[in-house]
This record gives sequence, C-alpha cells and structure tokens, in this order.
Amino acid sequence: MGQTQKAQRTKIDWGESLSANATQSASPVILSMRGITKRYPGVIALSDVSLDLRRGEVLAVMGENGAGKSTLMKILSGAVMPDMGTIEVDGKPVALQSIAHATLLGIALVHQELMLANNLDIAANIFLGAESARLGMLDKAAMHRESRKWLDRVGLHISTRTPAGLLTAGQMQMVEIAKALSHKARILILDEPTSSLSHSESEQLFRIMAELKLQGVSIIYISHRMEEVQRLADSVTVLRDGKNVGHMDRTEATKEKIVSMMVGRALNNWYPPKRNFTGQTVALKVENLHVVGTKSPVSFDVRAGEILGFAGLVGAGRTELVETVFGVTPPLGGHIELGGRHFTPTAPRDAIKRGIYLAPEDRKRNGLVLGMSVAKNISLPDINNYLPRWMLRPSVEQRVAQQQVDQLRIKTPSTRQLVGMLSGGTQQKVVLGKWLAMKPKVLMLDEPTRGVDVGAKAEIYRQIRELADAGIAIIFVSSEMEEILGMADRVVIMRDRKIAGIYPRDEVSQEVIAAKMIGE
Amino acid sequence: MRRELGMAVAVAVICAFLWYSNHHFIGQYNILDLLRSVGMLGILAIGSSLVIITGGIDLSVGAIVCLTGVLIAKISSPSTGGLHYPMWIGISVALLAALLIGIFQGLLVTRMGLQPFIVTLGGLMWIRGIAEVIINGRTISFGSSSFTNLANSGLLNIGHEAIFSYPFLGFVAAVILGGYLLHMTVYGRYLFAIGGNRDAAYYSGLPVKRVELGAYVISALTAGISGIFYASFIQDAGPTVGHGYELYAIAAAVIGGVSLRGGEGTIVGVIIGTSMMEVINNGITMFQWHYHNSKGHLRTFHLGTHWQDFITGAVILLAVIFDQVSHFVARRKRLKAQAAKTA
Repeated sequence: MGQTQKAQRTKIDWGESLSANATQSASPVILSMRGITKRYPGVIALSDVSLDLRRGEVLAVMGENGAGKSTLMKILSGAVMPDMGTIEVDGKPVALQSIAHATLLGIALVHQELMLANNLDIAANIFLGAESARLGMLDKAAMHRESRKWLDRVGLHISTRTPAGLLTAGQMQMVEIAKALSHKARILILDEPTSSLSHSESEQLFRIMAELKLQGVSIIYISHRMEEVQRLADSVTVLRDGKNVGHMDRTEATKEKIVSMMVGRALNNWYPPKRNFTGQTVALKVENLHVVGTKSPVSFDVRAGEILGFAGLVGAGRTELVETVFGVTPPLGGHIELGGRHFTPTAPRDAIKRGIYLAPEDRKRNGLVLGMSVAKNISLPDINNYLPRWMLRPSVEQRVAQQQVDQLRIKTPSTRQLVGMLSGGTQQKVVLGKWLAMKPKVLMLDEPTRGVDVGAKAEIYRQIRELADAGIAIIFVSSEMEEILGMADRVVIMRDRKIAGIYPRDEVSQEVIAAKMIGE
Repeated sequence: MRRELGMAVAVAVICAFLWYSNHHFIGQYNILDLLRSVGMLGILAIGSSLVIITGGIDLSVGAIVCLTGVLIAKISSPSTGGLHYPMWIGISVALLAALLIGIFQGLLVTRMGLQPFIVTLGGLMWIRGIAEVIINGRTISFGSSSFTNLANSGLLNIGHEAIFSYPFLGFVAAVILGGYLLHMTVYGRYLFAIGGNRDAAYYSGLPVKRVELGAYVISALTAGISGIFYASFIQDAGPTVGHGYELYAIAAAVIGGVSLRGGEGTIVGVIIGTSMMEVINNGITMFQWHYHNSKGHLRTFHLGTHWQDFITGAVILLAVIFDQVSHFVARRKRLKAQAAKTA
C-alpha cells in the first residue's frame, strides 16, 4: 500500500515538474530531421520520416517492432547514413557520417544492450577512446576525478574504480549516461532503457532524466511501456511501417490513441483463408514448464492442425519458451506431453526424435550451415537415417532435397547451391524444408518471416497453413501483430516472460492484444 | 576444389623446376625418400585436418610422436635403457597411450568446454614432458632391432630399396580411410557441419560433443601411428623427436585448403599440402645452380638447410594470401551479381 502511494506521489511530482516546464513549446528546436528515407535490399526501412526535438524536451518515439525506430536512431547516432533527407542540429544542416561525428555534435545513443567493457573500471569506461594522457602515460588521477564529477551528476555514488562487470544493469545504464554527458551530449537517445531495470532502478533513471531536462538536455525516449511514456514524455511521435503516423503533445497522448496509431491498419488479404478449426486432438501439452530465467512456470497446449500464435514484444520470453520446449536449454521443472507421453527435453536431439522441430529465430546462426549446399542442409538432421548408413548416397540426398525444393518452391539454381548465397526468404524455406522432409508432429516457427521480403512472406504463410491443414500442430511466434492475427487460430500473449492471456482468434482484437502486450 | 587444383599445379611446377636444376631430384633414391617422408607427415596431417575441420586445433601431435617413440624404445629396445620386451608389446602400449591421450583431451574440450588451443598446448608440453621423464632426458637407440626395418622396407623391392615403403603404404591406407570417413560417411558430414556452424548443428540434433571427441581421438591415434614410423626411421627415441611437427601438420592441411575457420577441406587437399611441404623441404637440399664465375670456372650454388624455415614460412603465407584474395574476388563478384539483381 505504502509503495503505491509513493509511486503515486512520484507521478504527481512528475506532473508538477512537467507543468513547470509548460513553456516547453517556446524553447528552441535543436534537432530537426526531415524526409528521412532508408532502403535496405528488399525493404524500405524508413520512408519520408520527420522529427523535431526541442531543448530540454523528452520525446517518446513509439511503434511496433520493425516500425523503423531502431533505424531512425541509428541514423541519428551516425551509425547508418540515410539514403535521403536532411538533419539539422541547431538549425544548421549536418551530414552525420560516423558515430564519432554525432558524438562531436552532442548526440549520444545509450544502447539497449549495454556496451561497457566489463574488465575495465568505471573511469576507464567513461574515458574509453578519449583517455586523458600526460607524456603518453594515462593520467588516471585526472580520469578518476573527472569521472567522479559525471557519476555525481547522474546520482551514482559508487567508486570510479569499480569494474563495470560488477555493476547492475541499472548502474551500467547510469555509467553509459555519464559517459554520454562527458562527451557534452545535449541529445540523449535512450533505447528501451527500462527493459532490463528493476522498479527502483527505473525510478532512479526517471529522476535523473528530470534533472537532465532541467539542465537543458533533450531526450529521445524509445519504449514500449505505455505508462512510462505517459508519465515521462512531453510529446510522442508514432511510427508504423517506416512512416510517421502521428505526433502529439503530452496532453493529447492517450493510450487508446497511441495503440490505434501503432496498429491501425487493415489486415492485408495475403493471408490464406482459415478453415473452421474444430480439431480436438491435443498434439503437444506443456505443463508447468519452468523456463530458465523466469519466475513462474507456463502451461499451454496446441492441437493437431492448429496454428497457435505467440504474440509479445521483443524480450517477452517467447524465444526462450520455444527453445526450452525444443531442449536447447533444459527447463528447471515441468514437463511436456506429446501424444500422451511425458518427457523433459534436455537437448534438441530429444525433441527431434519425437517429431518436435524448431525453425529458430536467428536462422543464420542457429538454423543453417551457410557454407553447405541446400541439399546438405536439408538432409542434416535426418541423414543418419538414410540407408545404407555406412555410405552416403548423394543421389538419395539430392532427391530428398529436390522434393522439398519443388514443394516449397525454393528459389535456388540447384540443390548444390550454397545456402549462404540465397536470399533471406529462400533461406527460411530451406529451414522449413529441412524439417518437412522429416514429417513433423509439432513445428515451432520463431519469427519465420523476419528479414523476408513481402512476396516470399505470402508464400510462406500459405505453406504454413497447408502444413496445419495436413494435421501438423504449429507454434507460430511473431512480433508482427498483423501476422499473428492473420495466421493464428488461437493467440497466446506473452509479457515479462509470463503468459498474459490465451484467446481464440475470433474473440480478440488488435487493440486487446496490443494492450496486453504492453501491459495496463 | 579450385584451391586444391591451384596447389597441385604449384607443386608440379616446383617439382619441374627442381628437376631442371638437379636431375637427381627425380632419381630413384630421392623419390622413394620423398614418398616416405610424405607418408609420415601425411598420416599426421590427416588426423590434424579432422580436428581443424570441426573448427578446433590439435597442437599436441608432435609430442605424441615423441612419446610413442619413447615408449616403444623404453619397453622394447634391445639396447641400453630398453626393457627388452617383444616389439608388439611396446607398439601396443604406445598406441594405447595415444588413444588415452586423445580421449582425455577430447573430453576436456567437449565436456569441460575448454578451448582446444589451450588443452592441446598443455598437451604439447606435458606429453613431451612424460616422454622426457621416461627416458631421463637421454636418447635410447633401437640398436640392431628389426623394428628399424619398418620405415625402410616395404613391398616391391628394387635392389634393396622398396618402391612402396611401409610409411607410404600406411599413408595410402590413411588416405583411403580418411577420405571415406570425411567424404562418404555421416560422421564426416557431421564434422563439416559442426565446423561450418556449431549452433546450427546442435539445433539440428547432431551429437556435437561425441563427434568432436572422435576427431581428437583420431588425431591422437594418427599421431601415434606416425610416431611409430618416425621412431623406426630415426632409429632411436629422444626428447626432441617430433619437435614442431604439429605445426608442419597444420601447415600441410592449411596449404591444402583446410580452413582454420572450420567446415572446409578435402582429403585430396591434405595430400597436396603434405606433398608441398615435403617437396620444399627436400628441394632445399636438392636445389642447385651451375654458373661460371668471373674467372670462367664452373661453380655450383646450393641453398643451405638454414634456408628451410624461411622458405617454408613464405610458402605458407603465400598459400593463405592466395586463398584470401580468391575469397575476396569471389565475394566481390557475388555482391556485384546481387546488386545487379536488386537494382
């Protein structure tokens, strides 16, 4: 009870500090991005995006995964150059060519994954790449003295000699911010800063943000958490599919409005029609499975012929869950029931033997041997069962692969082509082919259309639906809500490594899912 | 395969050049000698290649060569310091020791998750260390034992020289077995897959650790077999035998196109790489150049053996530079093709 009151009070404090800054709109625009466009092969990441940032303002940038936030921030921090568009800092046009250049202009990005050298102490990290030296010797005393100043400014009262590896995530974040400030940063980009912070660490961060604001530092705040945005932001810009879809002041930014902007689009008709799903045979039952790194066990089941969609934000624990079912990291407890038999997977071999397959999220890292041919990749999990065992028969291998190439319409000059030479969508089909050649019972697809161009996507959707129609139970993990709604028969929503709800597709709307994903 | 072809041509060119400079290069005695040394190093290189293909490395094989010789000499040599047991006991114990070392190191790498470089670097020292302790740092001769005939005799004699010496025949057997294992069995496929992408192999249900363990065991065993031949050839066993051979084996594999990144290599390449190493080694002593000095006297120029390290090193570098350049060219071509497609 006391805690809630305290939180309430902090909120009120914030309200006051913000209203004290009500003259906000009068303060000068220090950063202006106009018509930013960035294309990657097969994808338009950003199209004509604009953004204004005032002195001492907190601007929240929101959008679904893949909406273009990261690309925009990479451009702003100098890591990526835009194809078109202009950037003005203090009214002067600049061409941000490198991170060093952006740093010089006072722009600093605090990464989602914290990038400190764990073996070095705080002072060494703050001065990394900008060490002060006297006669070629590191001037450690000066660096510690300076670091102390910056640490004090972000309210971190620990020794500058502490190795970064010993810090908590929250402390690391503060060190990163201190480092940015030491570079005279005036524009601070915080990319999902609270995703790895505890409650109290988050509160500490918010206090420091308020102080920085008063000191005239502008902050671009990227977050999926609605309550934080409503509490912290002076204004909100929403991106969708690489475009601006709205900009509003703090007073107008209601949750409903933001959610509808984030998701508001008609479902495309490229999804294959669903058959009226009535199957009742449970193919896979997961009971109280305790995934490493989570607090509470999860349970769900998927029926033969069903596509079970897993929605959630990046980091909601979906990948960890399917990888645990697949045996990549053995669970701490609970079990899996397949066809009435219990088992606990301890390695992918266990799951594969039982007909549970996973097309992993990072297919280049975990799904494919890029230096091997299409045929060799497809045969890899099953080649041990080809006969005769003591002598590989390339002709058999080619035939099995050719079957998949034909069935999945894998666009490759031949089954001997190296997989590394193929496009993302084609590679994904090779991953699918590898498992389909083995008659799956349960097929888990983790972000199967990531990095796949639009045409190949539709094709992959159709094939997934066909597999389900053939009686395979499908677990479909995706960060694109549209995809989940277009494909799934039932939707599991995950948040903070827990299942936040399971709904039949027909009983749930985009808004409900979005709200559940973000948390009320 | 292009890499292997290029190297084969290079070996042929060097041979032709050596023959031109000194006709004895193709002489019966030299050729048979060359084949024997290719055999002894080749057996070693095949084992090392298996490990390198999984993305690992085995630095301990030179030390195993030393230990095998020492064990055989200590147990079976009829000379001073030897224990006079029958030869087969010495050889069996030596091979058993190699096997156990392979299992031990393989377990450290796969089960303990230690880095292959460190595990086998340790091996390089402690294995040789054991050998030194066994013989008290001295050298034991095989004396008049028939064991010394092993490396010097074989099948199809011309006079008292065998055309196919036993080390060479051993190499032929190792090539056949190694080629079969690498290119025609599931096990070989797994070696390549693990070296190409260990995570993907694991996610595909491969028994990654068992396959890797096998590679270290085979590497140690081939080192043991090679060690038997070397001991017989040198005719004694001392603490410095096999010194640096692990690096020659790795060099032979790399010259033959086995990538230290893992996942790449062929048995043919290993044969060619080994030939290159031994041809150069041999060529440095064979190479000569006749010229007339200012007074008109005929003189002959020889490279001393002190040139060996320099030339071998240069050849290794040239081989990998050539490889990298061809990779760049291929990549540039591919990117251009891709750009043309997306434009």
